[in-house]
Amino acid sequence: MSLIPCLRGRNLFQMTRRGFASGGDLIRLMVADREVVGYGINGRPIYFDSPDCPFPAIRYREVNPELCALREKELDDWKKLSLDEKKQLYRHSFCQTYAEFQHFTPEWKLCLGVALWVVALGIGISISMKTLVYRKLPDTFDDEHQSAQLRRIIQLQMNPITGISSKWCYHENKWK
Amino acid sequence: MSTWANLGLQDSASPLMEQLIFFHDHALLILVMITVLVGYLMFMLFFNSYVNRFLLHGQLIEMIWTILPAIILLFIALPSLRLLYLLDEINEPSVTLKSIGHQWYWSYEYSDFNNIEFDSYMIPTNELAIDGFRLLDVDNRVILPMNSQIRILVTAADVIHSWTIPALGVKVDGTPGRLNQTNFFINRPGLFYGQCSEICGANHSFMPIVIESVPVNYFIKWISKNN
Repeated sequence: MSLIPCLRGRNLFQMTRRGFASGGDLIRLMVADREVVGYGINGRPIYFDSPDCPFPAIRYREVNPELCALREKELDDWKKLSLDEKKQLYRHSFCQTYAEFQHFTPEWKLCLGVALWVVALGIGISISMKTLVYRKLPDTFDDEHQSAQLRRIIQLQMNPITGISSKWCYHENKWK
Repeated sequence: MSTWANLGLQDSASPLMEQLIFFHDHALLILVMITVLVGYLMFMLFFNSYVNRFLLHGQLIEMIWTILPAIILLFIALPSLRLLYLLDEINEPSVTLKSIGHQWYWSYEYSDFNNIEFDSYMIPTNELAIDGFRLLDVDNRVILPMNSQIRILVTAADVIHSWTIPALGVKVDGTPGRLNQTNFFINRPGLFYGQCSEICGANHSFMPIVIESVPVNYFIKWISKNN
């Protein structure tokens, strides 16, 4: 394995890579001509961007002649590299920058929208059930009956410790 | 009786129910503390960007989060066992009531006193007085003396029913061919409501139980009148 395969000869590199691929390993087929540069997260030659594994096992792009020229320039003083060349070298090894793959996505808007639609559907179903399906409430639900029942509850001193009768002042005959 | 928007337990009318309420509050407090702690930990995960890919174990914290829950469970178990044995204490009841479940009404017998027997049917909604409680009021209430130990024997004539009064912390299944016994004690006067608690057919929701707790002398007067 070489970090700068162009110095060794491309054919030799390709033979080595394709030797593994011809064994039927799917991952190695997907690797194709990309250099293996480290262990990665589990030793397999897979590329992914992740903050907890900063150095994937393989470079992002395949080897090409323009890169070989840049790699030779990279061996010299880095101050001689222009900003564009540095960016090219980065983009050859990596797909995205930290700022790009850690960016907040607008996916939450879709999730919120779907959730609110479901809530609205639920509310719509309950309102239509109440209007079209359910029978009228019994007579005991009207105000006259409820106030008579409340009077009886207070007279019977129901739940007098922490409940409804505890909120009534029996001396002054009114709510506390 | 439960009043509108009643989320918690009804106020107790029995010392045992008081103890049950205290235990419930104690256990719920512990549960709320655990829930808040776990919720906080889960919430803070959203704001944690630290990663340690090579974490294998932490002996000290593992010891702590094993021993601490065991201690918390002790704090729940000991009051629970105390209450469990308190509920089974032997005492000398002064009145025995027999309650027989039928489809769909209750019948009561006071065999201590010249065999007083009566049926207790729910008052239908269309015959209810303006201040009547729908699905709760009955034609003949169970009259019982307050501040006296009461024994109840529950059985059923047809299918399984269950006799319950939440304010007294009593629930006893009535099984045909079997007598189930329990004791309770009412410490204040008033009306206490309950509803059949074992599915027993079409009108299972329409066979309530009402206890009218009265001072002992009133109870004696009522017994004498019904002799």
